[in-house]
Amino acid sequence: MTRAGRAVSTLAAVLAVALAGCGGSGADGLDARLRLVVPDNNIRAEGIECAGARPFGYIRAGAPFVLEAGDGTALVEGELPAGHAENADPSIDWGVERIPTVCVVDLELDDVPERPRYRLRLPEGRPLGFDRSHLSDDEPLVLVVQ
Amino acid sequence: MSDRVRRRPWGRTPIAFLLVLALAAACGGDSSGDASAGGASDLPGPVPAGVGFREAPAGAAPAPALSARLVDGSPVAGSDLWEDRPVVLVFTASWCERCRDVHRRAADVVDEHAGVALLGLVTEDDAEPARGYADELDLGHPIAVADDGVWLSYAVREPPAVVLVGPGGKVLRGWPGGVEASVLAARLEELVEDSGDAGG
Repeated sequence: MTRAGRAVSTLAAVLAVALAGCGGSGADGLDARLRLVVPDNNIRAEGIECAGARPFGYIRAGAPFVLEAGDGTALVEGELPAGHAENADPSIDWGVERIPTVCVVDLELDDVPERPRYRLRLPEGRPLGFDRSHLSDDEPLVLVVQ
Repeated sequence: MSDRVRRRPWGRTPIAFLLVLALAAACGGDSSGDASAGGASDLPGPVPAGVGFREAPAGAAPAPALSARLVDGSPVAGSDLWEDRPVVLVFTASWCERCRDVHRRAADVVDEHAGVALLGLVTEDDAEPARGYADELDLGHPIAVADDGVWLSYAVREPPAVVLVGPGGKVLRGWPGGVEASVLAARLEELVEDSGDAGG
């Protein structure tokens, strides 16, 4: 290898190491934006703070959640924020203040270890599974609470 | 000096003991008297003399039985409260921010209507935070920890909700999500007998 060639390879190696070092935490973790939709069809004013109406009463501010990898390893633990009420059927203009709504909880998780498959475990109900490929930077992933 | 202490082993102890007692009395007054916010000391007294309420309409549904424990552990029965007065029930939760406004608003309206009672109801799983909630709001009205059955029997799916129970224990109206002060006030005024105006 020529001197110039060696210099280029060294530079490439240094850059590779530097990039790997800089990207270490960022490359390991991803930001997951989830949108939990509680299909409780409760009558509320659109936009107000909400929790899940019965039988989804366990979806409420402060309720614990765990994001697990597909193999069941706990990756992120936290507490749910309050939800907000959204029109249960946006195609309908109900014409009144209090309308059938769903309660939507926006969950933003930073630096989630990257895994091919995830499962969001809530205090009750079925865990909500999704793939890494379902996550996008553009749109939050919609998970309907069951 | 140490000699003196030895000679008079009780000479200073009673003073110290009395000081401790005095401090305990001064500082512990509230807790020893179980005067925690939302507890038994906030239960309403008898309906004031001269205040009367109309009977609830005959067709109104009977209020579901309600027995629970206040945040200080004292028992409370709905039937005792609504025997001779209207009772405003506020279904609430410590984790519910919006409930705080609804609860405060209901308390303000009730405070303007002599003889009317207000009872806050949180769910069982909120027993410990409920005490913090009661202390935070410090409304001067009782707050009870009710089991899920009470919520279900009043068809409350989500806090906040307000229910008006008439004298004698009849459900007059429920407001899922809360109620405006003017609306609640108007309903309470309908229940007040005009005994004060009888002479004029």
